[in-house]
Amino acid sequence: MHELSLAIEIGRLSEEKLGAAVDRCRAVGVDVGTECGVEPSALEFCLEAVLSHPPWRGAKAVLSSPPGDIFQVTWFEIEDDDSPQD
Amino acid sequence: MTVRKIEVRERVMARNDELAAQVRDRLAGHGITAINLMSSPGAGKTTLLERTLAVLAEPLDIAVVAGDVQTQNDADRLAAHTGRLVQAIVTGGACHLDALQVNDALDHIDLDKTRLLIIENVGNLVCPASWDLGEKARVVLFTVTEGDDKPLKYPKMFEKADWVVLTKTDLLPYVPFDMQRAVQNCLQINPKLRFIQVSAMSGHGMDEWFDFLRQSVGPMAGV
Repeated sequence: MHELSLAIEIGRLSEEKLGAAVDRCRAVGVDVGTECGVEPSALEFCLEAVLSHPPWRGAKAVLSSPPGDIFQVTWFEIEDDDSPQD
Repeated sequence: MTVRKIEVRERVMARNDELAAQVRDRLAGHGITAINLMSSPGAGKTTLLERTLAVLAEPLDIAVVAGDVQTQNDADRLAAHTGRLVQAIVTGGACHLDALQVNDALDHIDLDKTRLLIIENVGNLVCPASWDLGEKARVVLFTVTEGDDKPLKYPKMFEKADWVVLTKTDLLPYVPFDMQRAVQNCLQINPKLRFIQVSAMSGHGMDEWFDFLRQSVGPMAGV
């Protein structure tokens, strides 16, 4: 029922972690434990909305459902600009 | 362009839990016990609190934080029974109270003149279970007009609770509620649960509820 506020919190804490790299983030991995009381499909829907607004540029939410009541952001995928500097 | 993966382990509830710890510290600093009162809508939280405030508001220096999705009707009802402060939180659609709201509500309460803080959560048997508010005890109201399988359908609420108050026992003759099975279902989810049966209307069991509250602020509080 409160998946939108959880999605906003995931956006907030991820922005805090990523800093300036947030607009290069391509995917966010989230563990949504089977007992944590969060509905994965509703969360995914809400995350899609959060992660498509600035400073995000459409990062994909990748949810997994381990057993237990764990509920955490597990990883980010960042795209690095590694073109030669001159 | 190369894509690299950064491993992190950030609990989504971490911020709420930090705020809940702040609330807990604040309350401890003033020797206040907090109880988080939860149930489905209509289980009788406000009526139970009305009766409670009428008897114990002054002797136990009770302050109440009442959460509602819309309106402050509950807070108004409760305020009619006590000169002590009843602080309303209107969540504006949100399905639960969080620690930030409770922390803000504490700013409006005279903590030096409070010994017991009762937080009346939003009526909802799902979401409030996930949010630590800094309480010492979680009390779930479970009414006899509900199915006696409620604990099995909403396990997290009962798993996280300390006490179950079975309410509206005056209606037992008129409903198919099996008290023994209800208690068994609760214990199946959480063997540590303790129980009080009350009817706020008839007064049945209210002394036991009052004793529970008295003990929770007494010198043995926390034991």
